[in-house]
Amino acid sequence: MTDTRRAGLMLIAPATLFILVGFLLPVGVLLSGAFRTDAGWSLGNFVEFFTTPLYLDVFFRTFRLGLTVTAVAAVLGYITAIAITETSPSWRGRLVALLVLPLMISPVARTYAWLVILGRTGFLNTALQTVGLTDEPLRILFTETAVFIGLIQLFFPLMVLPLLSSLENLPRDVIPAGRVLGASWFAIFWRVILPLTREGLVVGGTLTFVGSLTAYVTPAILGGSKVLMLETLLYQRVSVANDYASAGVIAVILIAMSIATNFLLKRIATTRRAAR
Amino acid sequence: MAIRTTTLATLLGGLAAAPALAQDLTISVYGIAQDEYREALYEPFEEMCDCTLTVETGNNSERLAKLEANAAAPVIDVIAFSDAAALEAANAGLLAPLDMAQVPNAEDIYDFAKDPIGGGMALGYTFYATSTVAVAGEAQIASWTDLLSDGVVDRLALPNITTTQGPLALYMIQRALDPEAAEAGDFTGAIDLVAEHRDEIVTFYERSSQIPQLMQQGEILATAIGRFAWPGVANLPVGAEWIIPEEGQSGGLNVLAVVEGAQNVEQAHRFIDYWLSEEVQTKLAEMGADSPVNTGVELSDDQAEGLTYGADMAEQIHFLPPAVQIENREDWLAQWNEKVAR
Repeated sequence: MTDTRRAGLMLIAPATLFILVGFLLPVGVLLSGAFRTDAGWSLGNFVEFFTTPLYLDVFFRTFRLGLTVTAVAAVLGYITAIAITETSPSWRGRLVALLVLPLMISPVARTYAWLVILGRTGFLNTALQTVGLTDEPLRILFTETAVFIGLIQLFFPLMVLPLLSSLENLPRDVIPAGRVLGASWFAIFWRVILPLTREGLVVGGTLTFVGSLTAYVTPAILGGSKVLMLETLLYQRVSVANDYASAGVIAVILIAMSIATNFLLKRIATTRRAAR
Repeated sequence: MAIRTTTLATLLGGLAAAPALAQDLTISVYGIAQDEYREALYEPFEEMCDCTLTVETGNNSERLAKLEANAAAPVIDVIAFSDAAALEAANAGLLAPLDMAQVPNAEDIYDFAKDPIGGGMALGYTFYATSTVAVAGEAQIASWTDLLSDGVVDRLALPNITTTQGPLALYMIQRALDPEAAEAGDFTGAIDLVAEHRDEIVTFYERSSQIPQLMQQGEILATAIGRFAWPGVANLPVGAEWIIPEEGQSGGLNVLAVVEGAQNVEQAHRFIDYWLSEEVQTKLAEMGADSPVNTGVELSDDQAEGLTYGADMAEQIHFLPPAVQIENREDWLAQWNEKVAR
C-alpha cells in the first residue's frame, strides 16, 4: 500500500466510522426488527402489513398522493421555471429568492399557516363565499385535499430549482429554431424542452416524490388521523402501540420506495441520454 | 478477545453507573410542566436528601420500551405512568412491590389512588376528569351520545383511539348505549356509532393542544377532553362550557412505582412519599401542574378551575379499570382501524 493510499484511507476513516456507528448500525438494528417474528427470522410482518386493509389503504393513499403531488408540481414547476427564465437577470434573482424563501421557514410554521387559510372562517372559504361559488364553508381541513395543498407548497421549490437550472443550460436558439420550423408550443415543449431538461425533472421529481412519501408534519397537521399516511402511521405504531415490528416494516417500505424511485428516474434519464 | 470484551463491558457498565452515587435517584416522568416540578418537587427534595435527581422524560410507550430494554440493568428508580401502563409494566415484572410502611403520606390520599393496579405495586399521584366541552347555545349536550347528534356531529372533534382520552370517550358513549357492555370493556356499539358518523366528524385529534385552535377558528363546537386541557379552552372568547352529561364523566389516574432492581429503593420510597405529601401536592396544584390526590389539599375556586379537584368531583368519575384497558385495547384498536380509521 502506498503512503498516499494509506493517508487517504486514514483521512476517510473517521467519517466512515461515524456513519457506520452513528447511522448504519442503529438503522440496521431498527430495520432488522421488521424481519423478526416470534418464530424467528421471517417475512411474516410484511405479509401481515399487506393483508391488513387499513395498512393497504394507507400505502396506496401515500403512493397516490406522492404521484399526484409530483405530477402537479412538475406541471406548475415547468410553467414557473420557463416564466422565470424569460425575465431579466435582475428579476430572475429576485424571483428565485422569493421561491427559496419558504424553504427558510420551518415546515411546522408553514403548515400551521395553512390551518388558518383552509379553515371554515379562513381566507379560502371567505373568498369562495364572497364570489358566490359556495353558500356555506367547505370542509377542506383534515381531508386529502388539505394534505395535497400542503405538500405541493412544501415541495414546489424543490421541483422548480432543478428545472430552472436545466432550462438555463438549454441552448438559447432551440426554441426559436423549433418555431421557425413550424412546431406548435406543445410540440416544442414535448420534443425539445422536455428531453433536454429531463435531468432536472428527474432530480426535482425524486426530491418531490420522496419528500411527499416521507413528510410527517404536513400530513399530521393538515390530515390528522382521518388521512393517515405511511409516516403518520409509522409514528402512531411506535409512539402509541409500541409496535416496532410494524414500524420497521413501514420504514423498510419507505426506504425501498425512495431507492426504487431514484433508481427508476435515473435510469430513464440515462436511457434518454444514451438515446441522444 | 473474551477478556477484552468483558473489560469493555465492565468499563461501559461502570461509565453508565458512574453518575449515580449511592443516594442519587433517577426518575422517569412525563415531559409536561417540568419547570413547575423542578420548583415544587425536585429542588426541595434534592436539598432535603442532599442528593441529585436525574430526570428522564417521555410518553408512556417510549418509557415503557426503555424500561423493557434495560430490564437486566435498570437505570430508573422511580417511574410515573398511567395506571394502564403501570399495570402493563407490572405484568412484565418490571416493577417492584411498594413498602407502604415507607410511604406514610399514602394514608392521606383518595382511596381510589391507594392501590390502583393491585398488588401494592403503585400509588396514584394525580388524576383527571374527561368530559364534554361545548360552545354554549350552539351545541346541546345532555348525554354523551348527543355528541353524535345532528347539528353537533359535523362540528365535533373526538379524541383518536390512540390517545389516552380516546378509550375514555368511547367508554362513556358506550355507557350511554349499554352500561353493562361498557363495564365489560365491549365498546362495539360506541365504535359502530362513531363509524356511522365518521365522515361528518371534523377530526379525531391526537393532542388536546389542537382543541383551542379548532374551537377558536370555528371548526368545532364540541369535543371531549381531559380537564387538564380545559384552561386553554375556557380562556377562548367563544363561550365554551365544561359539561358533565347525565352518564357522568370519565377520567384517568397517573401513578408512581418503584422499578424492579432499582438501586436506591429506600430513597425511591422517600421520594414517592414526598411527592404525595400535602406540601408538594398543594404547591403543584397551586401552580396548575397537577390535580392533587392528597385529601388535605385546599384550593380556592380560581386555583381549582383547571384542575380535577375535590371529593365531589372525584366521586363523579367513572375510571376505566386498567385491567379492562389492557385486556381490550387490541380489540378496540382493531375495530377502530377496521370501521373508523379506513
